[in-house]
Amino acid sequence: MSSSSAALRELQRDLENKANDLSKLQKDIAKNHQVRKKYTIQLGENELVLKELDLLNEDANVYKLIGPVLVKQDLAEANANVRKRIEYISAELKRLDSSLQDLEEKQHSKREAILKVQQRIQSHQAGKAKA
Amino acid sequence: MGKPEVKGTVTSLSSMFPPEEVQKAAKMVEEKLSEKQNEMNQLKEFIADNTSLVNLVQKLPDELHHDIMVPFGKAAFFPGGLIHTNEFLVLLGESYYADRTAKQTVEILKRRGKSLMSKVDALKAEMQDLKAEASFFDSTTSEVAEDLVEIKEYEEDNSTERVFQSGPAELESPTLAEADNKMDSKLGASKDDEYARLMSRLDELEKEELAAEDDGENDEDEDEDANATETDGDENELTEAAFQWKKDEGYSSRDHGQRYSECTGLTAEPVTQGEMSHGRIIHQDSKMLNPSINASVPSEKKPVQTSKSEFDSSKAFTGSIVEHTENLEKKIPGQNTTSSESSGSKPSKPVSRFKMQRK
Repeated sequence: MSSSSAALRELQRDLENKANDLSKLQKDIAKNHQVRKKYTIQLGENELVLKELDLLNEDANVYKLIGPVLVKQDLAEANANVRKRIEYISAELKRLDSSLQDLEEKQHSKREAILKVQQRIQSHQAGKAKA
Repeated sequence: MGKPEVKGTVTSLSSMFPPEEVQKAAKMVEEKLSEKQNEMNQLKEFIADNTSLVNLVQKLPDELHHDIMVPFGKAAFFPGGLIHTNEFLVLLGESYYADRTAKQTVEILKRRGKSLMSKVDALKAEMQDLKAEASFFDSTTSEVAEDLVEIKEYEEDNSTERVFQSGPAELESPTLAEADNKMDSKLGASKDDEYARLMSRLDELEKEELAAEDDGENDEDEDEDANATETDGDENELTEAAFQWKKDEGYSSRDHGQRYSECTGLTAEPVTQGEMSHGRIIHQDSKMLNPSINASVPSEKKPVQTSKSEFDSSKAFTGSIVEHTENLEKKIPGQNTTSSESSGSKPSKPVSRFKMQRK
């Protein structure tokens, strides 16, 4: 009897740990989603900027706001910078995508493990009730 | 062939869709809807600002110099003037600015307005979907409140389900027969449609067979046999209880398509002694036949029982497959005994028409 209750307690502790891990994973996934959203918006904005820059004449003045300073920039330079930023953001998005997939898989397996532990607890309790 | 036994369960909707959960779901949909509404309002504000800005930018270059009160800090103004009225420093995005004239600025602003409008349209579509969901939940809650009952019926043979909702819970299981009749009346129209559909399919198959005639007799035999089982199934369907036939409608055609292709595949195997074209044609046929087989395959047991009495048709479907191959083997060297049998057994149906053509 006591051994089974000790085993029961252990199983419940195990369940708690797994539940904590799962909640952590879920928070990670939520963060991932947020960062992804931010990056997606930035990517859209940068593409808009690129479109506008393409429409500019060669001699138009382009400025960049760096802190409180508006700095004059070369059109070609601005173009190159914006393109590089777009590339960087897309790479980040891809990385985030893969990490999101990993997190989701881990979450899935954690859920299954939790289910198993719960089932064991139930069988234990059923056994205790019978005995 | 009598009707297969029908088992059924009667479950009240309130157990299928517990009212609290439905309410929760409805609330969630409402929340999402209000979120989208907020976003929509924001976007509309942006669009309004954009248009007013366009107007301003268009008006400014009218004068070389504007006298204005310039804001100074939080709570002060001083008199000043706007000069260079045709030069605008436009924010392109991501902290990039560009010098533009009024006309060019207006163009940029118009492009921004267009993208905003497209976002608004997308949001509207999403809101429509959410509203549809919300209305579904509302109707479900009202149905649950009325104590509607969901009646499931199972056909013994192939354990498929037909689910439909009937009136209040007075329709208990003894009146399942009534429910059957209701189904009959409801689906009578669809039955005719099915029949028409099957006929058109059979016409297509006929044409295919005629085309395949050039490929060789054996191929035809294969096709025939494949068609024979299908058409026999159809005939039986149409001659037997409509109820059973409609049951078959409810089957997932995929399932039967699979079985059917199994059948044809197996039939192909012993035959393809170097005749690869067989298998190919059969699979083509099986693909063609799959959609129309939903009615025929499940009851293939019965036609097998009636028309091909030499087969052990009372077993599972695989039993009939075996017989098929035997039949084919007999056929390939010699005659189309099976098809003649089958055509003899069902003379009245147009399906057997093209079998007779073979003779």
